[in-house]
Parts: sequence; C-alpha cells; structure tokens
Amino acid sequence: MRLLAPLVVVLALLVSACGGGAPSSGGGIAVALQFPPRAGYAFDADDGALLTKLGVAEPLVALDRQGDPVPGLATSWTQEGSSWRFVLREGVTFHDGAPVDANAVVTALTYVLGRPAPPRAIKGIGLQVAAEGPMTVRATTTAPDPVLPLRLSSGTTSILSPAAYATGQQPSPIGTATGPLRMTEIRGTEGATLERNDGYWGPKAASARVDVRYVTDPQTRELALRSGDVGFAEGLPETSKAGLQADPSVTFTEFPSARTILLQLNQSAPPFADVRVRKAVTTALDRNVLANQVLGGSALPASDLFGPAVPYGATQAPPAADVPGAQALLAQAGFGPANPLRVRLWTFPNRPELPVLAQAIASQLQAAGVDTEITVGQYDAQEPEVLAGRYDMFLNSRSYLSDYPDAASTLSSDYTCGGSYAIDRYCSPAFDALVAQLGIVTDPAARAQLYRQAAGMLTTDAVGVPIVHPRNTAAEKGVTGFVPDPLDLRPVLPVLAPAG
Amino acid sequence: MIGLALRRSALIPLVLLVASAVVFCLSRLLGGNVTRSVIRSRSLASAPDPAAEARLAAELGLDRPLRDQYLAWLAGAVRGDLGRSFTTRAAVGPEVLGAAGVSATLAILGLAVALAVAVPAGVLAADRPGGAGDRAVDRLGAVVLAVPEFVVGPVLVLVVAVWAGWLPALGWGTPAQAVLPVVTLAFFPAALAARLVRAETRVALAHPSTTTAVAKGLTRRRVLAVHVLPRSLTAVLAEAGPFLAGTLGGAVVVEVVFDVPGLGRLLADAIGSRDLPTIQAGLVVVLAVALVLTLATELLGRALDPRLR
Repeated sequence: MRLLAPLVVVLALLVSACGGGAPSSGGGIAVALQFPPRAGYAFDADDGALLTKLGVAEPLVALDRQGDPVPGLATSWTQEGSSWRFVLREGVTFHDGAPVDANAVVTALTYVLGRPAPPRAIKGIGLQVAAEGPMTVRATTTAPDPVLPLRLSSGTTSILSPAAYATGQQPSPIGTATGPLRMTEIRGTEGATLERNDGYWGPKAASARVDVRYVTDPQTRELALRSGDVGFAEGLPETSKAGLQADPSVTFTEFPSARTILLQLNQSAPPFADVRVRKAVTTALDRNVLANQVLGGSALPASDLFGPAVPYGATQAPPAADVPGAQALLAQAGFGPANPLRVRLWTFPNRPELPVLAQAIASQLQAAGVDTEITVGQYDAQEPEVLAGRYDMFLNSRSYLSDYPDAASTLSSDYTCGGSYAIDRYCSPAFDALVAQLGIVTDPAARAQLYRQAAGMLTTDAVGVPIVHPRNTAAEKGVTGFVPDPLDLRPVLPVLAPAG
Repeated sequence: MIGLALRRSALIPLVLLVASAVVFCLSRLLGGNVTRSVIRSRSLASAPDPAAEARLAAELGLDRPLRDQYLAWLAGAVRGDLGRSFTTRAAVGPEVLGAAGVSATLAILGLAVALAVAVPAGVLAADRPGGAGDRAVDRLGAVVLAVPEFVVGPVLVLVVAVWAGWLPALGWGTPAQAVLPVVTLAFFPAALAARLVRAETRVALAHPSTTTAVAKGLTRRRVLAVHVLPRSLTAVLAEAGPFLAGTLGGAVVVEVVFDVPGLGRLLADAIGSRDLPTIQAGLVVVLAVALVLTLATELLGRALDPRLR
C-alpha cells in the first residue's frame, strides 16, 4: 500500500497543477465540432466549407440568413450572357498582408478548377476565370449559368493568398486566408487554433481566440461541454437532450438540417416499376411515428423531399399510415396473402439512425403484408449495386444542397433520366423539362416555385419515400452568440463570445 | 541468449517484408472502387464521376499494375518514405509514427499505473488470505474484469470531470489530460495482474527458501521484499508482452472515448476512407511493434527463468 501513496500524491499534484479545462479565459473560447477536416483542409474536399464555417476563409460571395447571395470579397456582380463580372472589395488583405486583387482570385480559382475532382459547386459548367482589371474578375461558363454567384458562395471556392499556391503542395490556410478568424495552428484532425483578425474588413470576431477541437464521438462532445472543457458543442446525442435542456447553465438549440432520409425504390425492375406498389409502401409507412417515436424527436417527419431548412420546403406533417389503403393498392398490383410481396431493404451503419429506421420500416411494412429482408452493409460496396439498379429498397441519407444553397444539382443528379446518382432510376421527360428550367431562371422566387413543383412531382409519382429530415443540435455553456444555420453554409465561430 | 537475440532479430525484417506485401495486396483486392471511396471520403455527397475518378487514379498511381505499385512503395519504405495519404496528401510516416507514439505512451503509462497498484495489492492479498485485501482483489477484481473500457471511461469522466470538475474530459497533450485515459486503461490489467501476483506470491510464500528465511528470524517485510516479491514479479514480467498487447487493444477504445490522437483512431479513420498508404504504414508499424515485443518477452522470460534457457 505504500506504493499507492506516491501515486496518489502525483495524481493530486497533476490535478492541482493543471486543473480542469476552462471554456473561456482572456476572451478565448473552446469549441467541440462534429466533423474533423477530411483532407487536410483541401478546398477540393468538404474542408473548404469547414474553413468557411470556422470563419477562416471566405469565398467571393457571402450568404444572408435566407441563403441569398450578398457581397463578400466581391461587392457586386452582373451577368452578361454566359459570363459574370465580379467587382472585388477594395482594401482587403489576406492574413499574410498581401492584397486581395483580381490576380489573387484568379490564382485561387484556377487552382481549385484544376484539381482531379473539382468541387461540386463549380464542376461540369466549364467555368473559366480571368482578371479583367486590377479589381475585376470575369467568370465564364459554357452556357449561361443563372446561379453562378451562389456557386461562388461555396466555401470550396474560398480565396487564399497567392503565397499559399506557390509552394507546389496543397495550399495551407495558416495565415493565408481573409476571414474574421486567422488560423495559427493545425493539430491534424485533433483540432486547430484560431485568433481574431483585427484587420478584418467586416464585423470583428467576438472572441480573441478560439480553440477548435474535433470530437467525433457525440457522447464525448456532451461530456466535454458539461465538464466545461468546451463552451460550445454541436451534434449532441439525442439521449442527452432532456438533461441539457434542464441544465440552467446550458443553452440548448435544435434546428432543421437540409438533409432527408429517403427510402429509395428501384423503379427499373419489379415490383417497384409498378407505381401502385410504390404508393402502397408510401401509404403503409407512418413517418410521424418514425420521427417522433423511433428517433425520439431527433428528426422531423418528411412529407416532401425538401424540409423546413429551405424556404420552399414542406412544413406540413405527412399523412398517418393507411394500412387498408396500402393493402388495397397491393391487391390491385397482384399481391396479397396468397402472393405476399417480398422485398430486400439495404442500408448502411455510418449514420447510426439508418439501421434503427430500417427495422421500424420493416415492421410497419409487415403490418401491410410486405415481407422485408434487411441487409446492413458498407455503403461503398452497396453504391455500385444500387446505381446499377440491382436492389429493391435502399434507405439513404442525402443532403439536398451541394455546397451552396441551391438544389438544382441534386435534382439533376438524383432524379433526371441521365442523372449520375439516379438511384431510384426515375425517368420522366416532364420532370427533366422542369429541371431544365432551373438552368435558365434567375429569380429566387421563381426558382423556389420550380423546386416546389419538382418535389410535388416526385411525391405524385411516388419516387421513393422521404422518411424524415434529421435535426441538428448545438449547446453553449459559458459562451453566447450562437446563431443556428439550417443550411450549414455560413460562418459559425466568429459570432461566438465568452459569456459575461 | 545473444545468439538467439541476433537470429530472431534478423528474422524481423523478413517477416515485415512478407507481411507488407500481403497487407498491400489484400487492401487493394478487397473490392470496391478505391478512387470513388477516396473522393467520397474527401467530399461526402459527391455523385459518381468516372472522369474525375480516372484523373485521381492517375494522380495516386492506382492506374498502374499492382506489382509496380508495391515495388514503388517498397522502394520508398526502404528510404524511410512510407508514402502520402490518399485523403490528406500529407506524408504518412510522421503521421503514423506520431500516432503510434501517443498510443505507446498511453499503453505504457496505463501498464505502469496498473502494476503500481496490482503488485502491492496482490502481495498484500496473498500475505493475508481471507483478509480485506484478499477479498478486495477477488471481488473488486471480478467486477473490474467484467466492465469494459467504454463503460469505465465515460463513468470516470462523469464523476471526475463533470461532477467534481477536477480534470479535463477530453484531449491529449497535458499531464492533466492524460490522467483519465491512463487510469481507464489501467483498470483491466490492474485487476488481472493483481490476481496473477496473488497466485504467484502464494506459491513463493510456500517455497522452502521462504520458510528458511522466516526461520532465520527475518522480518516479515524483509521476507516479502527479498524472497517473495522477486519470484512473484518474474511471472508478471514474463507476461509483460501479452499485457502490453492487451493494453494497446484497450487503448483503441480509450482513444475514441477521450479523443486521444492515437494509432487506433488513425487506423479506424483510414480504413473508413480507404486511405491505403495510411492503412499500410499503420499495420506495418503495429506488426513491427508486436514482433519486437514478442522477442523482448521471450528474452526476458529466458533471463528471469533459467529453466527456459
């Protein structure tokens, strides 16, 4: 037991010397974010959007709360046929002191356009950029593009200092961006340190220093917040919701996300080539139960492809299950007790809610007389099969915005006849014509109307079943200022400040 | 002993060479489209794009024959260059070695704390059979052995970090951040080692040399320290290799629970994104450590127990 005494003393000294974590000190805060950088902060990966979220890097165009384009590094833009002219903001400098000018913008965008797999926001449109004057950039596309400013609001098109691209290596955001927070240290996928950019052209960051920690485990994020290790955490586990809401020192926020969990149905083969069978499945499912009971309220029941995260998304609850109606539809299609419908349902475990939902869906379908065989496998192995139409039902989770607040590319890739991600294998000339209009229409209200029509058409044709829209969560403790962003495209950290 | 050490050491590079070839081939023949997986790991919602996949395959060298890919990797490895990550494009060697260092630190500290608790507890339990110490080692040990790290860790965080506020709940880099992961990791080997020490101490206490020492009038403390403890420790040290290997296994769970940037977490992420160079380098490093530990354990056993020579 004598050996224990020194050990206890050492531990006690460590505790007293080092103490626990502190959410804020000297104007600094610590935050726990859900998703670490995937590719060392590469702009041709999702990390470009992460850098915008951190408030480190900025694209030419910013977004307002409604997701409409507003001046960022560019102050104005005008369309002339298949090209757009962007006028840059005067007097802006990168974190390394270099001026933001047309040449710097062209260098940055040319780099990202030249990557083997360019960002979704700007690929496939033949985008080319050139300096038209010291502070003017001309962006040209193969065909007139009505939403180029929105595309250039994507974090993946952020602009770094020319010095970042001169190394021949992947450009580093340390000291080379323009945002209200300057990245001073990268700790791999563990975290990063940010400091306020006092020379920022817009509103200054509310915290002098932000210690960013990437914590992939939701329970660990919750414990880190509750212990005071961090003052802000996102993506908290559903089981912690009640406890965090009851804690007076914690501000808990729940908000919609631009994501839909879909039950995709293979229309290229029986039985789902028959619209009556697809409608029977839709009718047999009670999406309110799936959202509120099976997922415990961590998602909203979906009545449409688009949810409340976007202005054109549906907000009404879907109808309750109608089992007799589903059985009648199945009977019309030739299925019944003597000839029960047997189908396979595939899903994957990367999103833990999917296998749970798959079980509940199978149970609800069973009530209507549909036998379902569930397979939970790896997405990478399933994707080629479902894209080739070798499946029955696929429970998938899909964001309907692609790096910028416009759903045209998702509608095109997922639901048009030649779509590259057309898992449902839906092909409707009328729908394709509708999506084609999105390539012409510029007016946001008119585009929103087209989105409503497109979603309505998918519902009418029973193209899969939108099951739920997952909700995002965030909590603050000793930190204030969080503004939820359902689009998940705007800067989050610059507005967070130590409380008091 | 020296001859054995040299012979076994010479075999290690050969085993690593064969293993590296097997790992290289298996990781590339697992099926699926590697370039598509890499693109998805970098950009999650991307739709398939054969042209982009072809460009990326060319950039990563995945369009070359498997033999050429392996030989290029081997030539680099011989020079100390383990390649670049498919996802981050960063050099894999420093990343893997850094993470391995964190895991090794965690495992060694965990084992040290475990032994610091287990050895005195085991000796005390054996010295007074049926006493409080003996009952504690027996019953508490059974409970600890039944509770995995992913339960112990969050409970410790809840009590020590959340309720008491004494220590940080996550992270790595400061002594305070190391305490909870190390203690969590120490639980299981401490319970196991305490039982082993207790059993060995009982055998040592019954040994004629111990009886002679007692008859000579040596104090109980001296008998335990000089005649009993070395015999007990021999058994424990002989098991140090398997203990450390088991602790490294537990470290993977602890790394996730406490957000520690170790090798387990790195490999799990790499497997998820089909980052083949990181998987390759990580597994080769793990294998190298296992081989060295096995050899060290064997040599230690022979050094401590003349019957094995």
